[in-house]
Amino acid sequence: MQCESCQKNAATVHLTDVSNNTKREIHLCESCAKTQGVTIKSYLNKSPSYPELLNQLVHSQAEGVTAEEKDLACPKCGITYRKFRSTGKFGCPNDYMVFKKGLLSLLEKIHGKVEHKGKVPLKATDQIAKQKELRSLRADLEKAVRDEAYEKAARLRDRIHALEGRESEA
Amino acid sequence: MDLNDLQTSAGEWLGGTGPDSDIVMSSRVRLARNLAEFPFLSRATPKDRGQIERRIQTELKRALPAPDLRYFSLPPLPPVDRQFLVERHLISREHAYGKGPRGVCLGGGETISIMVNEEDHLRLQALRSGFQLRSTWEQVDDVDSRLEKVLDFAFSPQFGYLTVCPTNVGTGMRASVMLHLPALVMSQQINKVFQAVSKINLAVRGLYGEGTQASGDFYQFSNQPTLGKSELEIIETIERVIPKIIEYERTVREQLVEQRREVIEDKVWRAYGMLQTARTINSEETMDLLSAVRLGVNLKIIRDVGISTVNELFILTQPAHLQKLERSELNGPERDITRATYIRNRLAARGPSSNGATKGESKS
Repeated sequence: MQCESCQKNAATVHLTDVSNNTKREIHLCESCAKTQGVTIKSYLNKSPSYPELLNQLVHSQAEGVTAEEKDLACPKCGITYRKFRSTGKFGCPNDYMVFKKGLLSLLEKIHGKVEHKGKVPLKATDQIAKQKELRSLRADLEKAVRDEAYEKAARLRDRIHALEGRESEA
Repeated sequence: MDLNDLQTSAGEWLGGTGPDSDIVMSSRVRLARNLAEFPFLSRATPKDRGQIERRIQTELKRALPAPDLRYFSLPPLPPVDRQFLVERHLISREHAYGKGPRGVCLGGGETISIMVNEEDHLRLQALRSGFQLRSTWEQVDDVDSRLEKVLDFAFSPQFGYLTVCPTNVGTGMRASVMLHLPALVMSQQINKVFQAVSKINLAVRGLYGEGTQASGDFYQFSNQPTLGKSELEIIETIERVIPKIIEYERTVREQLVEQRREVIEDKVWRAYGMLQTARTINSEETMDLLSAVRLGVNLKIIRDVGISTVNELFILTQPAHLQKLERSELNGPERDITRATYIRNRLAARGPSSNGATKGESKS
């Protein structure tokens, strides 16, 4: 096989470039490859890097998102889902909640996962524990009401209000 | 507040003291964080940016005990100083040439760098010599834990730390190691490594990060996904694969020495000779020659120059460093002359005592 660059020597350096699911093979002789070192270096730069691919992914229009959802705007920072998809950048932390529906499939594509695992700020740990307790108290409350255990229900309601930081409305 | 103080020191990570530092130049872990009460920088007004910077600047000084902590506001710094920080891996290129109120806080002998108002409000970085991702993570984790006591970070129980770009959400962590792989490049086997690591979602970049040339045979390997795995799980993934690459590089080095000893020695000695004698030399050639010399030192072909000296030369011969050294602006050809002179002086009459191995590892 001949070198693609000088068309003289035998190609001994074989590079495989895989991008957009198409495979491209590059064949060079050692000296052409060497004069470049570049072959190997620019190879790194030429094919889209993983971050570039991710960017393309973020910028591409989401499938299964309705026109209505695209025009959905965050009440806090004002950016629309459409705008986010075109820039790849959120406007404020609240966007993650507002755009949650469309976001899940995107995060799945980027990270393969949609649930955080890892460090939690101490402050949030308290917050999360509180929310968990609230959820469980509310479930208990519902059950107490169903069972017509009204005294128990009243106690549960007071605890829920206390946790929510509200005055008991007894 | 003077960057010239940094000029005389070289940064812990260049010391060549960490584990496997013949191949692993440095380990780095960075965390992206945002303040919950402000919009992200993509929507922040100039006034917001100013407030964010002041808020963070005040809290950094209160929260972090490092005695050598210093804050540099970037807009007033001349371009050469900003480039200088880029060359030392303390700030990103985007941060150097960005807009508006922004800065960087340095500490721990340059092992800690905190960029304020880069893409996210905060980018916390720890950078260490050799292959020690875990202690590097612990160092930046500690900085983060101290800061979260005084700052409210944007966080969701489901999505983790919330970032401007969804590619960083979750842990907000990018862990990377910089490897020197001259033998794999020389034997044209480096592409096998690229293919293998892309399968496990590691990205490969050049010496100065995204989109930069892989000069000096340096390659940075880092995690891509940031959501759904804990920080330690991400680090473990990298810790599993990097030793295989290190082993691969070492094996090929041995083969090269066994099978093509004269060729390797010739390459190393010529490179060393060129650097010791050149009167003008550009940056790219310098990187190539230093890479061969670094290989030569690690293979004990060259014995009279320490690894830390070679490591430092990769950074100290960069354009902004040379201009800081000369204390004047230099055009391209002037820089090439200054560079050649500087390298000659550093490599002339070096004794083995200049070896960085005697340097104690500073933990901060």
